[in-house]
Amino acid sequence: MAPSRPRTLVTVVAAALASGLALGACGGPSAADRDAVTHTVRMSGTSFVPAEITITAGDRVTWLNEDYFPHTATSEAAGFDSGAVAAGDSWTVVIDRPGTFDYVCSLHPPMVGRLIVHDTE
Amino acid sequence: MHWTAALTAAALALPAVVVAQTPTDAQIAAIVVTANQVDIDAGKLAASKGASADVRAFGEMMATDHAGVNKAAAELAARLKLTPEENDTSRSLKADGDRHLEQLRGLSGAAFDRAYIDREVAYHQAVLDVLDRTLIPSAQNAALRNLLEKVRPAFVAHLERARQIQSALGR
Repeated sequence: MAPSRPRTLVTVVAAALASGLALGACGGPSAADRDAVTHTVRMSGTSFVPAEITITAGDRVTWLNEDYFPHTATSEAAGFDSGAVAAGDSWTVVIDRPGTFDYVCSLHPPMVGRLIVHDTE
Repeated sequence: MHWTAALTAAALALPAVVVAQTPTDAQIAAIVVTANQVDIDAGKLAASKGASADVRAFGEMMATDHAGVNKAAAELAARLKLTPEENDTSRSLKADGDRHLEQLRGLSGAAFDRAYIDREVAYHQAVLDVLDRTLIPSAQNAALRNLLEKVRPAFVAHLERARQIQSALGR
């Protein structure tokens, strides 16, 4: 992506992961300049496990659906929406922007989680 | 049997009855599969016939979620070499589910939506009650019990969503 473009909060990386390409957040120094960490959140028992994680901007977050039916990871504040993640599938984004972001499974609203994103500096 | 009465009451949208007796794992498997199938059938009908987008989406989710649970239950039963055993409760659930489907087929528009959602609220409430009082405590096999415990929160989410829709429909 062009460095001059505005920095986005998240970058969907499922396709890049599948093809083994290097990952980078849009325009930011985060993922490209440091060793990004992948954090896994399980979707299990209609809960996000763990329900809260603390990460660094530029890190990847993977949601792995271990339930028997679809879930989503959706955050209007953070600007991401996985869409329906089928049973056994996963979905990954890069989180670029610091902040605290609540998210929800839009199919099962009592299912909520939180990302706490620290700056890289 | 008391647990039969509880689920029959649910099917009739009546308050659940206190559960007393203890089903076997094979009977639990049949009850779970039938209870899910009843909701799958109603959900498919609501997905195609519901007047409001919320009701159609809810019906689609019921069909998807409960089908997923039944697939897992069938795989577990096969792994455990557990043959589901039909019983008074499963037969009653099936018969009442069929009657309810026929009632729904005779309705349309807002009347269909209200009848479907009212039933979903009562049904999920009663199934949760029976899960907690009888099915989970009675399950002898740990894997079966784990499956029931794992899907329980989804039923809570379904109940909550059904209540939201029920409220929006103006009950």
